[in-house]
Amino acid sequence: MKMSPSISLFLAASAFLAAAVFFVSPAFGQDTDTVKAKHVLGLEEVKHNTSGTLTIGNGNLEFTKGTIKKDVSATTITEVLQGADTQRTIGGTLGTLTMFGPYGSGRFLSLFRTKIDTLSITYVDASGGLHGAVFTLPKGAGVAAKRALLAQGAKTTVPLDSGTSPQPATSQKPLGTKP
Amino acid sequence: MKMTRIIHSSLVLLTTMLLLGAVSAGHAQNNAQNNAQPKLKASAIQILMFQSNEVNLPLQFQVALYENTIEQVEKSHKFERVYRDGDQGAANVPDLVVLHTNVYGFKKGSEEERQVLTVAGATQIKVHCQFTDKSGKPELERDITGKVRFLGGNLRATLDFGKKVSQIVQQNF
Repeated sequence: MKMSPSISLFLAASAFLAAAVFFVSPAFGQDTDTVKAKHVLGLEEVKHNTSGTLTIGNGNLEFTKGTIKKDVSATTITEVLQGADTQRTIGGTLGTLTMFGPYGSGRFLSLFRTKIDTLSITYVDASGGLHGAVFTLPKGAGVAAKRALLAQGAKTTVPLDSGTSPQPATSQKPLGTKP
Repeated sequence: MKMTRIIHSSLVLLTTMLLLGAVSAGHAQNNAQNNAQPKLKASAIQILMFQSNEVNLPLQFQVALYENTIEQVEKSHKFERVYRDGDQGAANVPDLVVLHTNVYGFKKGSEEERQVLTVAGATQIKVHCQFTDKSGKPELERDITGKVRFLGGNLRATLDFGKKVSQIVQQNF
């Protein structure tokens, strides 16, 4: 049985649309949103520079990597700031190995960089101890993540619309000031 | 001619010996100074959040300094407990040491420049550290610089700083 070209075209277009819907990560701003993220440091029981997924919803920020799951209640977040940075397109162990490439090829590859967003948070635990965590997100997801966290009850000293450089909140009188 | 050569060789040998002697004397003096200082005693330490009133330190660096310092001091195993800023449990520890910090110098380098040019793009963070007792009496003060010169991202300077704090803790506690 031979399919007509129009049916084939329709099926191909449907498959393409279904794949697009499946693979594109949802944007922050709905009830529960997930985005691929890298945990740079800060969360207990999660290793530094671990890639996983960041979910903001139900009043929580949740970082998941396989079976490891770490929740931070949005209401305990005392500061949330986003920033912009770049990273090597070829990173990790392979990126380090390319540094030993001949004729400066490793250095040349360092010029290829990907823009990323950073998300830094500080939060307090049950005993009042202050914690901090830093994540990197795909470009454009930082502002959306911050907006989603603020909607869930997180606090910040730099509102989203101010656009000024962040100055962290200070709770202690500084000691040993150098000239 | 032969005599000149002998004199020249003797001079080189003498200079080398003098240099080696000076270096070893310096090391001995440093060791003596380190040994002379009595070690401080404390069962717990509380690390306060890093202050940066003089420089505009981005929050990610402030958080990274704080978290890396806590992690490295915990790894030193010099204290039974490492308390965070604001932890209510620290109030019940009689021999608590508190680490106050003030960032007074920050130069954000560029990872790209470091990887491409090697000699440029270093990140530097200068921090004044003060260890006090519970009442706020200073016990130890140091200026520490965290750096990243070659491999790694800018935040690696905070790990370098944390390791240096851990070294100071191991030497003095």
